[in-house]
Amino acid sequence: MAMTREEFLRSSGLKVQVLDVWIEQEWLVPEETPSGSRFREIDVARARLIGELQSGIGANEAGIDVILHLMDQLHGMRRALAALRRQMGEPEG
Amino acid sequence: MKNPYEVLGVPSTATAAEIQSAYRKLAKKLHPDLNPGDKAAEEKFKEVAAAHDLLGDADRRRRFDAGEIDASGAERPPRQNYYRDYAGAQAEHPYADASGYADFMDSDDIFADLLRRSQRARANHRGEDMHYRLEIAFADSIAGATRRITLPDGGTLDVKIPPGLVSGQTIRLKGKGAPGFGTGGPGDALIEVDVLPDPRFAREGDDITIELPVSLSEAVLGGRVRVPTATGAVTMAVPKGSNTGTVLRLKGKGAPRRGGGFGDQFVRLKVVLPSPADPELEAFVSGWEKGRSFNPREEG
Repeated sequence: MAMTREEFLRSSGLKVQVLDVWIEQEWLVPEETPSGSRFREIDVARARLIGELQSGIGANEAGIDVILHLMDQLHGMRRALAALRRQMGEPEG
Repeated sequence: MKNPYEVLGVPSTATAAEIQSAYRKLAKKLHPDLNPGDKAAEEKFKEVAAAHDLLGDADRRRRFDAGEIDASGAERPPRQNYYRDYAGAQAEHPYADASGYADFMDSDDIFADLLRRSQRARANHRGEDMHYRLEIAFADSIAGATRRITLPDGGTLDVKIPPGLVSGQTIRLKGKGAPGFGTGGPGDALIEVDVLPDPRFAREGDDITIELPVSLSEAVLGGRVRVPTATGAVTMAVPKGSNTGTVLRLKGKGAPRRGGGFGDQFVRLKVVLPSPADPELEAFVSGWEKGRSFNPREEG
């Protein structure tokens, strides 16, 4: 379910200025359509994670950059692993 | 409900800074998103987060220490989803990143092959290229034109056809493809152009050849005739004594050259006798001695 910018701001509780910075840093990557940005559930969860990395764990900007990059690689590997397992005919779970 | 001081591993005399530092240490270890494969991480983290909610807030800590509220009073509502629940799912998302194992896919073995087939991560977030086909008239392929195509979604696209285009050539309209993600930008529209043949013209490279019927009198006596070209008709002089097969050149009337300038148009003449046959011509030819002794199948 795609959200508009306004819906996303409501749902994530982010401030407009913060959102713009995060998009600029490519921490959040909304889908760009002719009628404006579209956000998904995954963006809400990612925004919450970034917030926790920042205030909870105390990671700075560079740290968050690295964490997100490595985390996305890790999830990429997990997806590849899961897909491999499917191809090998083993049930998931 | 566990004692929040025990959960964070700090004494009850700990300062706010010590509590914060203890929480950070544990959160780094236990945050579910930092442990995507550990199902128990969520439970453990929830405990730590609840303890921090209670002790990290000076007022609530004071009330807890005074026995006004208990540890469960600070429990947060169970939260629904972590980032890992989306990022690990099979659905496409723009954050998928294959760079952690891309090198594994380079080799020739079966593992690499399986990986290649299973990986659906989008390395970049650019939108997809859209492919279209467009038919244009031969004259437009030489002179260039602008054509509007209607897209499946009802939108339109103005395609500028460069002069000199050949059939099968593809025109790329940057950014006119499918929308992209974030800063990835949209894909391109790729328009493959078919040039409809014109029975009058044949194109070879930058040159165009045309066959032009001329009358016997134009061939024998010469004259000025109108010749069609891709960019409109022009007047051309037919020299005296021209023949079927005589090729005349119209300089610069061919297709535009890549490096600038134009090819030529070659005009191959074809002498056409009047039809039906003209009695006067017949009478003339029967009395024409030289014409009867000339044998074009003999050399010389």
